[in-house]
Amino acid sequence: MEFFSNLAMGFGVALTPANLGFAFLGAMVGTLIGVLPGIGPIATIAMLLPLTFHLEPVSGLIMLAGIFYGAQYGGSTTAILVNLPGETSSVVTCLDGHQMARQGRAGAALAIAALGSFFAGSVATGLIAAFAPPLSRVGQSFGAPEYFSLMLLGLIAAVVLAHGSVLKAIAMIVVGLLIGLAGTDGNTGGERFTFDIRELTDGIDVATLAIGVFGIGEIISNLARPAEERSVVAQKISRLWPTADDFRRSWKAVLRGTALGSVLGVLPGGGATLSSFAAYALEKKSSKEPQRFGRGAVEGVAAPESANNAGAQTSFIPMLTLGIPGNAVMALMIGALTIHGIQPGPQIMVERPTLFWGMIASMWIGNLMLVIINLPLIGIWVQLLKVPYRFLYLAILLFCAIGVYTVNNSYSAVVIAAFFGVVGFVLMRLECEPAPMILGFVLGPLMEENLRRAMKISGGDPMIFVHRPISLGLLIAAGLLLLILVLPQIRGKREEVFQEGEA
Amino acid sequence: MLARADVLSGLLFVAIAVFGLWISRDYPVGTSLRMGTGYVPRLLCWVLLGLGAIVMAQGLRQPAPALRPTALAGRAVLSVTVAIVAFALSLEKLGLVVAIVLLVGIGSLATRALRPLETAIAAVGLIILSWGIFIAGLGLAIPLWPDF
Repeated sequence: MEFFSNLAMGFGVALTPANLGFAFLGAMVGTLIGVLPGIGPIATIAMLLPLTFHLEPVSGLIMLAGIFYGAQYGGSTTAILVNLPGETSSVVTCLDGHQMARQGRAGAALAIAALGSFFAGSVATGLIAAFAPPLSRVGQSFGAPEYFSLMLLGLIAAVVLAHGSVLKAIAMIVVGLLIGLAGTDGNTGGERFTFDIRELTDGIDVATLAIGVFGIGEIISNLARPAEERSVVAQKISRLWPTADDFRRSWKAVLRGTALGSVLGVLPGGGATLSSFAAYALEKKSSKEPQRFGRGAVEGVAAPESANNAGAQTSFIPMLTLGIPGNAVMALMIGALTIHGIQPGPQIMVERPTLFWGMIASMWIGNLMLVIINLPLIGIWVQLLKVPYRFLYLAILLFCAIGVYTVNNSYSAVVIAAFFGVVGFVLMRLECEPAPMILGFVLGPLMEENLRRAMKISGGDPMIFVHRPISLGLLIAAGLLLLILVLPQIRGKREEVFQEGEA
Repeated sequence: MLARADVLSGLLFVAIAVFGLWISRDYPVGTSLRMGTGYVPRLLCWVLLGLGAIVMAQGLRQPAPALRPTALAGRAVLSVTVAIVAFALSLEKLGLVVAIVLLVGIGSLATRALRPLETAIAAVGLIILSWGIFIAGLGLAIPLWPDF
């Protein structure tokens, strides 16, 4: 019964007219920015974070949840209509979604995506409510060594998602860890990598880094490419509601996608991307007519869209209960929570139950808002996609700059963001994926802190990580994962593995 | 051969690591029991140095097309960076209107596709939009006009 009373408490907090308004507003602006081509959820969320800072924590979190779902769904809309995935998690949606759009069935594809996402989001919300309390009790028994090993596992797992070279992804994580250490060392009070610049003594804000690398860096990358025609779907979307046949074909795909996404989202390094790829592959493999995939099969939209929403949502579980982000988006959400004065971790549920359960309830509300906003407004998003990029990039650039300024209230942060914009562009040119770097950035100070504590407990003996059973288990898992990742590369067979993954 | 993506990334990692080691040369390292300010950063720099060297070595072995800097890319990097820095430096003293005009004006140089009239329209539109959202809507303490 604890389950229902907790959820009831959450909805009691979240369901005030003002908070519903913030959820609506958040989902609205989240979709608005998320729908723009070339801006993925990370950049969208980073850019819109400042909008929530001036609100009460609960309202701010509710709006943030709206932004989060809006940004995720906006990416799918772009994928279906323009064939431009805003982020890797909507890459597979392009395959069949855009084909459906070309056949004049964009409305049906978007509606199935929205309804599938809503179903998946509802299930995943229930899962969070059910599993967060026991998991956070596990978390409370964790000591410094366990936390350190768990974060190490999370970092290694993040490499799974990076494209291309494993070593480069690991190096990017190390770079992120180093950037995360910049500022004043909380333990000794010594300054590190601050170059005697006053603004750097407090370290770099995660939103500044993310907006710089993903927002500004992405703009430079787009502008540096020769202009090409974008194939916006020109036809008017006449029919929004999917046919009975669409529903018949997709309901099982939605169920499978939801189940798969919910499980994969909890894993460190998991989340939306892994879930959507796996769900698409499963659907294609289990289909009686696999030849329909890639030619506008509605299951090919329903499954990955449900899965990525379920995965995006259940990836909140480790973040909320253990305080450890499983992917870059969660790393950003931790930054946002910290700005609201909330330190995610096992104690949050006990210390601030209304806030915790209010946030869970607001996730479901955010999902609902998405359906309400998106179904009637699809026509508007289509219009928005027709705005030429030469106008869009100026607006995006401005929002990035104002966003960074409002987070930090200092102009020097904007200059730092510009610097990271160039860094982001260079990294993308060098085929180094920046997402693992963000994760390392957030985990850097936490890992150092836990390493120090663990060493204090053991008297400087590193064997403590092996002597503690949970820590040992996590380290073995990390080691195995690393072995699986690196082995094919050492033998020069990584290409084959990759090709098989794409086939 | 040196301009391949992998070789360059390896070089970049090595450069960051060496730079980090140099900057942190005076940070107290301490012992594993009482870690100093420099313990973890220096450890990470050494790891990065190793990783960078391997990435570079692999890049030298595997053939890949060379990256060439293009005029388009140089133009994009330069105008976007200068536009944002100009915005940052002018916002507090000269106000939102001037800052946006600078950002849009300099930023528009990144592409030849924008005509002067279009740039002007974009600037006016964005000024009204951001005034509405950030000053009127959110009540942020950003000055609108220059403060003389």
